[in-house]
Order: sequence, then structure tokens, then C-alpha cells
Amino acid sequence: MKWFGFICLVFMVSLNACSSAGKKVPRAAPEDVDFSGAWELDYSQSDNIQARFDTMMRELRRQAERRAQGGVKQSGVISSGGGAGLNGESILGLAQMAELITRSQLLDIKHDEHTVQVKREDNFALDCEFYPGKLHSVETPLGSEICGWDDHQLVFRILLPEGLSIQHRLTLGPQGERLNIATTVFSSQVSYPFTLNRVYNRYDPDSGGIRCKQTISRGRVCTTEAPQ
Amino acid sequence: MSRCLLMLSCLWLCSSVVAADQNDWPAPVGRVSLETSAAASSEALLDVGLVIFDAGIPEDVSTHSKLGIFPDIRRIEAQYIPVLLRQSLIDSNAWGVVRVLPQSSELTEVLVTGQIIHSDGLRLVLHVRASDATGRLWLDEIYVDHSEAGDYPVSEEGEPYDDIYRQITNDLLARREPLVQKELREIRNVAFMRYAQSLAPEAFEGYLAGGSEKHGEERYSLNRLPAKDDPMLGRVERIRNQEYLFVDNLDEQYLQLQQEMAPTYHLWRQYDQEQALYREDYQRRASSRDSRGRRGSFTAMEQAYTQYKLSKIQQQDLRELAQGFNNEVAPTVMEADGRVFRLSGTLDSQYEDWRRILRDIFVLETDTPSGT
Repeated sequence: MKWFGFICLVFMVSLNACSSAGKKVPRAAPEDVDFSGAWELDYSQSDNIQARFDTMMRELRRQAERRAQGGVKQSGVISSGGGAGLNGESILGLAQMAELITRSQLLDIKHDEHTVQVKREDNFALDCEFYPGKLHSVETPLGSEICGWDDHQLVFRILLPEGLSIQHRLTLGPQGERLNIATTVFSSQVSYPFTLNRVYNRYDPDSGGIRCKQTISRGRVCTTEAPQ
Repeated sequence: MSRCLLMLSCLWLCSSVVAADQNDWPAPVGRVSLETSAAASSEALLDVGLVIFDAGIPEDVSTHSKLGIFPDIRRIEAQYIPVLLRQSLIDSNAWGVVRVLPQSSELTEVLVTGQIIHSDGLRLVLHVRASDATGRLWLDEIYVDHSEAGDYPVSEEGEPYDDIYRQITNDLLARREPLVQKELREIRNVAFMRYAQSLAPEAFEGYLAGGSEKHGEERYSLNRLPAKDDPMLGRVERIRNQEYLFVDNLDEQYLQLQQEMAPTYHLWRQYDQEQALYREDYQRRASSRDSRGRRGSFTAMEQAYTQYKLSKIQQQDLRELAQGFNNEVAPTVMEADGRVFRLSGTLDSQYEDWRRILRDIFVLETDTPSGT
């Protein structure tokens, strides 16, 4: 029954992640959004993890102080009910996870009417399929995924053991030349999630003059010949 | 909460349906020796037509990735598998001419059709139907074969699922064996008259009692045969020989396509098998592994994430390989299609065109109304 409740909660949270209040799930892919292309990380526009961590700690400290003034204070830990709590170490754990998950410097995205595939350097690809009335979900013994559109944003939610869940929210910039991925790491043991924004700019991967394709018997085959 | 319950019920139902389908599969064919017919009479050597299999790709494209179906590979397998079955039938020495056909035809005495239910490096599941020209159903079976550790890498003449082809061949032979000469002759005669009727229904009306339902089968029987010196018979025979020649040409192309594709296809299935075995093993080990750190700690979360990441990468590698397979065999497929295109189009449409031309020739020669 404990597991049943947990699974229910997970799905409710997931569904909420894919829809704004009261809106239908899943949503159709917006026609004017196209993530396709090669993207490289723009460090200058992306969040600095240390700064994000410091900001969050400051904010939490302020909240703790306000609560303490209200009369509720525990030594070093600010309780938020349900057994979940937070302290410097737990927030740092989330921040480290966010950093680990968002390390990819290059993305290669394929996007068509029914699918999006976000290939991430040194990580697994994020896949989403969108068909009318169908919610894309993947379940394995090691975790599950759910994804969908929330207006013009594409949202992936990954639910893992250890009470860990990860949300990636992809937003295309106004000119389509910039991509923001807001990655939020949730833990059932920490009452506040940690969000890290990574900004990517389009680039031309063929500018090096080498184009590659995968084959079965010869592995990855590359050519410098121009496409016919 | 009710929405959640509904969703969980749906998920449970979906998984039950998939499980039920798999439970309906019979036991694997196991090790099978090919039964050969050393002294079959010429009467018994019926011609067999193997229609390109139904690839078994669900119309609902949203299910493909979940079912692990790569549609391009399935379409190729639908041409590849009948060619292997053809070879097994030839090896049994029990049949007349065995041809691979782009579509069903009245041309053959025994017609075999099939659907791919499941195909990967570990298992092949086929639904095979066979009937003779009289409409008698010979086979309507699901066949399952598992690959074994020693099947990969596939040797030059090897095939991981050769047992399934041998079993189908043996079953076909077992259905033919009890037929007496009279029945075999009737199959031949009915096949010929059905072909004649497809060319000129009015000219051959009354020779066949056809299309009646018997035990759920559409049965044909012979009322009478035309006189042996009937000139119409000679014309039908000539047109049929023309069609045989044409089909033999298509059959050769299917064979060539299979031979050119085989090395790549074997590699694909080998990778597929290795990945599936690794994935199963990894997931079993990972899900039973104890957490290294305190729940909610970075160590515990990193472990959960890394396990998931590695299993996803394995799964996605397979899709990359599928793309690699397409990159490699696509020129072959196009070449085969191209060669036919010079004649009239795809193998299927070319065959259709050719049959229409033959009927037109027959109508012109005999001044009878066409069957189509």
C-alpha cells in the first residue's frame, strides 16, 4: 500500500509537470517550435552552480530565520514536515546531482511532427513521442520517464529510485537561436528542489567538413565529401 | 485519486495484454531435423508459392518504440524470411518449384502466407498459414524459435533460426503426406482451372464449383475438365508459363537481396541479442544491488542515476545500430527496386502490371471477356 501510494503520487506529480492546471494531457506539439539542430553550451549565459547554491542557501537561511522568529527552530535543520528536511549537505547533494546531469556541452536534437530526440554528449538521449491522446512514458526496473508539452515548453520527467526525480524543461528562445534547459532535481528527502539553467546556442557541426554516419559492419563511417 | 487509479488500471491492463499475447505463443520448436522426401512421385511435387510476409508493424506508430519494432528492418525481414523458408522447402526435396511471390496468386498449387509477430536477436515468432488450390487449409500455426549462445556470430551458411524453417517445412510435408494421388491431381487441376478462370471467367465458367464455405474454408472443386485438345487450354498454359518466367525473375531478385543483406543482418541480430542479454542481466543486477549511500545522499542518488543512464545508453545504442543497418542495406534495396523499376515499378506493382498485360494478351487472342 505504501508503494501504491508512492506510485500514485509519482504519476500525479508527473502529470502535473506536463500540464498547467486543468489543461489536457498530453498536449499537441506546437507547430512553431522546432528544437532541431546542433547546440553548444554557452557558459556565459548559463547558471553558475556555486552562485545558484549560495543564492539558495541564503534564501533558505532567511526562511529559517523567519520561522525561528515565529518560534519553530531546530538545531541546524529546518523541518518542513513529512520527514523531509534540508540542510547544507542535502542541498549540496542536489546541486551536485544537477551539475552531474547537466554536464553535456553539446546537444544534437532531432525534432519532427511526432518525435523529439535530444542527444546529449556523454549522457543518454531524451526521447519523446507525441501522438494525439497518448502520453509518452517509459518504464524500466531502474526508473521511468514521462514527457509532454506544456505550452511551448517540452518537459521531461525522470523518476528514479532513492526518491530522486529529475525534470528537464526545454524552452526555445524568441529567434530560435537559443535554447534554455531548466533542470530541476527533486529528492523525497529534501523539501526544496534545486534548479539549474543551461543555455545553448546553435552551431554548425559540419563546419569542420566531416560528416559521419553509423553502419553495422564498419561502425561509424565519416566522409569529407559534400552531400549530393 | 480516481484519475490515478484509472491510469494505473490502464497500465496494468496494457501490461496484461502484452503478457497474454506472449502466453499465447506455443513452446519453441527446439532442435529440428529436416525431413526429406527421397522418393516423392512427380504427382506429389506440388508447386509452392511463398508470399512476402506481412511485416507485422502495428498501424499505431506510437507503439513501435515501446514494442521494440524498427519498421524499416521489419519490412526487410518480411522479404528475407520467405527466402529462407524457400531454401528449406527446396532442401526437403519434397516439392515442385518453390517461388517467393510479391502477393497472393492463383498461380500456385500450395500458397504459404505469414506474418512476423516478433523478431529480434533472441526470438523469432511467425504466424504461418498454408492452403492448397482447392482451399484446403494446411497450416494455421504460430511458430516460435529461440536463438542459442552458439548461434552467434553466424557462420557463412548459418542461420540462428533455421529450426523454425525446418519445422514449418516438416509440417507442410506432414500435411501433404496423407494426400492420395487423386487428391494431389485434383489440387493441380483446380489450380490450373482457377488460373484459367482468373484470365477469362466466362470462358471457363462451369468447370469449377468454387468459393463455397466448408469448415470455414473457401473450397473449390472440379466439375469437369476441358477437352485435352481444347485450344484454350494451350493458350492458358502458354500465358501461365509466361507468368512463371516473370515470377522466377522476381524470385531471383528476392534471393539476391537476401544474399546481399545476410552479412549485415546477421551482425544486426548478433548485436541485438548481445544487447538484450546484457540489458536483462544489468537490470537484474542493478535492481537487486544495495544502495551505497544513505537515502537522499549524493552517493545514493548518483548510483540510481548512473544505473539508469547506463541502461538507457544500451537501449539507445540499439536504435543507433538499427539506423546503421538502414544506412548499409538501403542502397541494396534501392538497387533491387531500381532494377525492377526499369520494367515498371516496385516488385509488387510490377507483378500486378504484368498479370494485367497477360490477361489482356489472353483476351486479345481468344476474344473472351477479361477476368479483371
